[in-house]
Amino acid sequence: MNYHEMEMRAVYAATLSELVKENPNIMCLEADLSKASGTFSVIKKNHPKNFINVGVAEANMIGIGAGLAVEGKIPFCASFTPFASRRVYDQITISVAYANNNVKIVGTAPGITAGPNGGTHMCFQDLSIMRAMPNMHVYSPADAYELRATLKYMAKSTQPTYMQLIRPKMPKIFDENVTFAPGKAQILREGTDVTLISTGYMTKFTLQAVGELEAKGVSVDLIHCGSVKPIDEQAIIASAKKTGGVVTVETQNIIGGLGSAVCEVLSENHPTRIKRLGIPDQFGEVATEKYLFEKHKFGVPHIVAACVEMKEKTAKKHKCCS
Amino acid sequence: MDQFNREEFDQLAAEWRYVITDLICRAGSGHIGGALSLVEVVLSLYYRNMKVDPKNPKWADRDRLVLSKGHAAPVLYVALAYKGYFPMSWLPTMNADGTKLPSHADGRTVPGVDMTTGSLGQGLSAACGMAMAAKTDGRTHNVFCIIGDGESNEGQNWEAAMFAAHNKLDNLVAITDCNQMQIDGTTQEIMCLEPLAQKWKGFGWEVLEMDGHDWDSINTTINQAVAVKGKPVMIIAHTIKGKGCTIIENTVESHNIKVPDQAAYDKYMNALTVSAKLPY
Repeated sequence: MNYHEMEMRAVYAATLSELVKENPNIMCLEADLSKASGTFSVIKKNHPKNFINVGVAEANMIGIGAGLAVEGKIPFCASFTPFASRRVYDQITISVAYANNNVKIVGTAPGITAGPNGGTHMCFQDLSIMRAMPNMHVYSPADAYELRATLKYMAKSTQPTYMQLIRPKMPKIFDENVTFAPGKAQILREGTDVTLISTGYMTKFTLQAVGELEAKGVSVDLIHCGSVKPIDEQAIIASAKKTGGVVTVETQNIIGGLGSAVCEVLSENHPTRIKRLGIPDQFGEVATEKYLFEKHKFGVPHIVAACVEMKEKTAKKHKCCS
Repeated sequence: MDQFNREEFDQLAAEWRYVITDLICRAGSGHIGGALSLVEVVLSLYYRNMKVDPKNPKWADRDRLVLSKGHAAPVLYVALAYKGYFPMSWLPTMNADGTKLPSHADGRTVPGVDMTTGSLGQGLSAACGMAMAAKTDGRTHNVFCIIGDGESNEGQNWEAAMFAAHNKLDNLVAITDCNQMQIDGTTQEIMCLEPLAQKWKGFGWEVLEMDGHDWDSINTTINQAVAVKGKPVMIIAHTIKGKGCTIIENTVESHNIKVPDQAAYDKYMNALTVSAKLPY
């Protein structure tokens, strides 16, 4: 099956449908956005007993999810990222994470992919705030195959989890054999000059950047963190030791997200020069992707430039140290 | 279910009030008012109305109770200890460092607590999820949920109210501990709830009212509630905050008391209308 030819939301719905067939305890919860997350025509139609639409009431959706989880169900609760994270932060904190209920929260249209819905719907802090919550895992798969592997893992685990779901089609990065494990990164390219780390939506752009960087003679270690929490400390430290310089890229506020996670790991284990690319502590807005990449300087040309600069800044020092 | 004996129930209720007050006083502070107002309701649920098995707290066919007003946990902990869910010796550890019995109802550490609560407004949603799961699986047990009248200020209750009616959750029985007081004043002063019964009726619920300190009223009303078909039921329990502890009874100040020293401990314990022997 060529899942990369499908929209990611369609892959979400199709995979959830498979999982429901395997385990009838899996439930799909929506808050009047089931058409946006792709489950309306798949789960509601084929598995009506496993589909609950709570209406425009996200706090209640999380609470109902918690109650279902108490009874052994495995609810997947989806909404746009701001409404699946910051709007219901206390409900997730207490009824899910603190109470240790096995609820899966799916934040759709992450970061700048919220596009035309603009600043109110463009959430740049979900990775940050969900990462700061004890007993919460945070994932952000980059393509259809990793999404499927991630969902299959989530369906089997008992871990409260937040996952970002990109809605449109994404280019193929992995294949059907890809596996997902929390705290395990994917090394997409091996290089020696600079470590480039991305997650979710931004990994397709870091892959593009790597092509350009190779042409410029910059050898890049490219790490994709589909699991942002727990994060693959070992892979990050090993790569930083090898290259001596790190660039992180995310469609999130650079405060608190992937870049911060990498800084935390390296500052305590192997202090390394790091450049964080993403949103420099600003709100979103109605705009095209191109405009937002230019404004916040985290598109492919900016990734390339940051890596070239990182190589220049770290090359001499790193060689001295090694 | 236990055989009802009015004298024994009266005696047990008095003893529970003595124990609850002792636990809170030992801890140095606590939410006594809303725990004392629920003594008869919780006692009746566990000894008369709910189908439970203390030896098997996770029994699939048991009735569930979500104490959404999680700060009233002392009354729930006392009920569970008396029913044998855990040793009486746990009780005086409430709120002590490393305790299994924290101030707000905790399902992670306390056998018999069906849902962890403490952040007001969230329990009714969880109860809806539990009732929905029972419906989905074709099981016939009931889910009870106790909310506070002050807690009813929280908007999430009303999201849950719509959901329960929409999904015809007739296995859900909610009880409002209507003692007419919240932290900063009376419910009338802070955020008027009336007409409360009409609000719930308007949301599609069957609404019943009871005297939350009268055994017959409680039992009759709960039996009536579980027999309702096709919609969820809200029971408005008229109660007295801080009931049984004369110096704080029916006062806003009873919500949370501070007990800094032995003199304060003696003051509250001596103010109980009935004394009892502590079971630990």
